[in-house]
Amino acid sequence: MLKCTQAVEDANTMHTSKLGWWRRFSLFMHLLMCHHCRRYVRQLKMLLGAVKDMHGEASDEEVERVLKRLRESSGS
Amino acid sequence: MSSDNAQEMPVTGMANRESEEDLQRLRSGEVAAFEQLVRRHHRALIAAARPLVGDEAEEVVQNAWIKAHRALPEFEGRSAVRTWLTRIVLNEAKMLLRKRGREVSLEDTTGGDADPQSWRFGSRGGWALPPRYWQVEGPHEVLSSDQLLECLQRLFGEMPGNQKALLEMRDVSGMDFEEICNDLNVSASNARVLLHRARGRVFELVDHYQETGEC
Repeated sequence: MLKCTQAVEDANTMHTSKLGWWRRFSLFMHLLMCHHCRRYVRQLKMLLGAVKDMHGEASDEEVERVLKRLRESSGS
Repeated sequence: MSSDNAQEMPVTGMANRESEEDLQRLRSGEVAAFEQLVRRHHRALIAAARPLVGDEAEEVVQNAWIKAHRALPEFEGRSAVRTWLTRIVLNEAKMLLRKRGREVSLEDTTGGDADPQSWRFGSRGGWALPPRYWQVEGPHEVLSSDQLLECLQRLFGEMPGNQKALLEMRDVSGMDFEEICNDLNVSASNARVLLHRARGRVFELVDHYQETGEC
């Protein structure tokens, strides 16, 4: 039976690389029974969705700097 | 179904935002589409380059944009645009470091950094202090507070460079884990530990903010 520490580790691994079918099955069974781990997995997933946007958009000045360099490089 | 029920894993965000129409416009060389692309990804690319090349990150990313612009007509869309751009940035960073006689490696400096979530578990491996219930409807609400975003930026600033690089490359840019390990000269087992610790730090920050409204 998977412990919560292992479930947390395996949930992370599923967002990192491949997890073998047996570990996936064990995690699934654990999540059916453990609401704390279900909460962790749900919130981890939301967090990883959120960090993709954490740096925000570039300002007009930053965009213009890139475009200026691009124009210079095509002109050279 | 309970609100805590979530066993499916794919996550979405800005990195997956380009539509097929956007890609067509980019491939055909439309300036406004390229401008939008820069606006959307520039800061994330600089953040990905910084743990590798420090203050030269902006220069690396500028060069990467020039290469990306040339290569866009051939972009097949097999990966997300952010992922593709990050790969170009990583190659530029490696080239710059080679010129300086250095190599990219995240393998060192792992010692002494404890798992930021180990205190939550009891001696038998169960939760002693489980995470709080976050009052958010989806990823877009998790970091919607300016104060929390500021704290997160600060946390990133204090994070060990190898943890930050992995979080940026894997979770922000969506690069393949094995590709990251190969490119950054780090073993998969070490990289997994580093990445899980980085995520643990961010998770703890948000969890604490959810409880107290402070960082």
